[in-house]
Amino acid sequence: MESGIIVTKNLSKIYGSTKALQKASITIKQGDWTSIIGPSGSGKTTLLNMISCLDTATSGEVFVNGTNISKLNQVKLTRFRRDNIGLIFQQYHLIPYLTALENVMMAQYYHSIVVEKEAREALENVGMGHRLHHVPSHLSGGEQQRVCIARALINDPKILLADEPTGNLDQKNGKIVLDLIKRLNDEGHTVVLVTHNPDIAKKGNRIIELIDGKVSRVNVINS
Amino acid sequence: MFITILGKSFSRRKGKMAIAIIAVIMGAAIPSAMFTVSLDISEKVSHEFRKYGANLILVPKSDTIEVGFPGVEFGAVTEQNMINESDLWKIKSISWRNNILGFAPSLYQVVKSGEGANEQRMVLVGTYFNKEVDILKPYSSDDKKTFKTGIKSISPWWEIKGDWIEDPNDNIGSMVGVNVAEKLGLALGDAFTIRYSQLPDDTQNETEYELKVLGIINTDGYEDNQIIVNLQVAQNLTNRPNEVHTVQVSALCNACPVDVFAGEIEEKIPYIDGKTVKQLVSAEMSVLGKVEDMMLLVTIVALLASALGVSTTMTTSVIERQKEIGLMKSIGAENKRIASLFLTEAGLVGLVGGILGYLIGLVLAQIIGMSVFDSSVSPRLIVLPIVLGISIGMTLLASSLPVRRAIKIEPVIVLRGE
Repeated sequence: MESGIIVTKNLSKIYGSTKALQKASITIKQGDWTSIIGPSGSGKTTLLNMISCLDTATSGEVFVNGTNISKLNQVKLTRFRRDNIGLIFQQYHLIPYLTALENVMMAQYYHSIVVEKEAREALENVGMGHRLHHVPSHLSGGEQQRVCIARALINDPKILLADEPTGNLDQKNGKIVLDLIKRLNDEGHTVVLVTHNPDIAKKGNRIIELIDGKVSRVNVINS
Repeated sequence: MFITILGKSFSRRKGKMAIAIIAVIMGAAIPSAMFTVSLDISEKVSHEFRKYGANLILVPKSDTIEVGFPGVEFGAVTEQNMINESDLWKIKSISWRNNILGFAPSLYQVVKSGEGANEQRMVLVGTYFNKEVDILKPYSSDDKKTFKTGIKSISPWWEIKGDWIEDPNDNIGSMVGVNVAEKLGLALGDAFTIRYSQLPDDTQNETEYELKVLGIINTDGYEDNQIIVNLQVAQNLTNRPNEVHTVQVSALCNACPVDVFAGEIEEKIPYIDGKTVKQLVSAEMSVLGKVEDMMLLVTIVALLASALGVSTTMTTSVIERQKEIGLMKSIGAENKRIASLFLTEAGLVGLVGGILGYLIGLVLAQIIGMSVFDSSVSPRLIVLPIVLGISIGMTLLASSLPVRRAIKIEPVIVLRGE
């Protein structure tokens, strides 16, 4: 097996007659920030879903942190995901009736045990210490995304997967979020970020370009 | 955290939860009312039936004198054993003593009245009307030492013109059947003479006894042909002190273990046979059975309608919360955690609906009790856990399909369906 914290081999996903992903083979090294770019419908999110154990491949294999997740059942996939992967969504996906703090604590609850102090620290770490008890509807988009990042980090995953994390943010808030992701990458988290924006993709040190479900190009910007 | 999620999601969807709770209330109120009435109805129906007379008759073993009850024959003989009047208190000393509403002994004798062509033969019956019996050895030290009983308490439905014999020491008062009064031309307050001889037609050794008509009985039964007097009058006339032929017992029969009552009385007074009035018992069982069948049917229909309401509400809830469920799964919630969240919600709906349904059911039970039995129905606490069990069980069952749907939601929709 090729060395890398994430390795896919001939990964394909077919929905009916649509080939969302075709024999994609990529390797992502530990500690890298890999940006996956491509136009709409190129298979970026599909690839991310496979890596994050949210979806299963039609064919091919995915190795994450040395485990062939293609062979895991749903229960094991769920456990693997919560132990190894932090997810950052474009739409934040916070539970609307829980406060920022409770949204983070919920991730602790489903992982192991709830430690409020750690949840507070995670929110303070993303600059949200002053908004702990606000529900999502009382937070700006940038603030919600930072809560989402705090939630992704709370169980200390090795890998952060972000799907268009700034897609719904203005430039100012987008910069705050990207700087935060950069800092987390510098602290040792492996980051895989899906975007259609080449400027954002260039924040990472590797770019994988997908076109029509196929890996078209892999650029190493800064090794 | 579970309680926080549960509490906040519950309070956020108050309207829907209220609809689900109302559905459960409707489903729980009916069984609550039905169970409350059903438990009480047996007693109520028994009381209703008891108004129509005894349901147990005690006869001496090998006694085959013509004895019977309206529509019920027990056989006939001439030579017979007798029951000791002094043993009658024992009827009220069995473990089921509180279910013995009353008893009345009968000492029968054919007597004559009227002269010449108008001479009539009729049955004289000595019994208790309203006699205070001493319970010599009560079953429990807490029991009363005396028991007031007699034909008046076990046959309250008799139509009486005039008065009952109230004084147990009244030696001339009599109550005559309507047919006797007609044949002898008797009216209230009239005096008449009866004649008794130990051997039939032994006119030389006849004893005459004068009685006064206190009441005229109309039962459409054999009592219409009888002269009924205090037991001691019949005993003195026939020289049979302390003897009775039969005893009618009115037993309050809830689950109808009249045979058990009879068995226990037979143990206390070993020389008697206790015979249940089977026609009455089976009629009673039949009525109760039909009422309970109807209640069961109504309960099942109410529960089905309620389950449908709960299931629909829970399904809507799951559909509305698909993304939330997908998110929970995407951040590591296992299926059992998702299921437990929804099932706990359902359980709470069942619990709240069950409690409210129980209370509303009590009101319904009162309405049924008042309209059908013309008396209030006592609330039974045992009904509460039964109703809660039914409502929570029904809610969980009705939620099983929506919950199955919830755990089948794939987390990928959170990322995909934007």
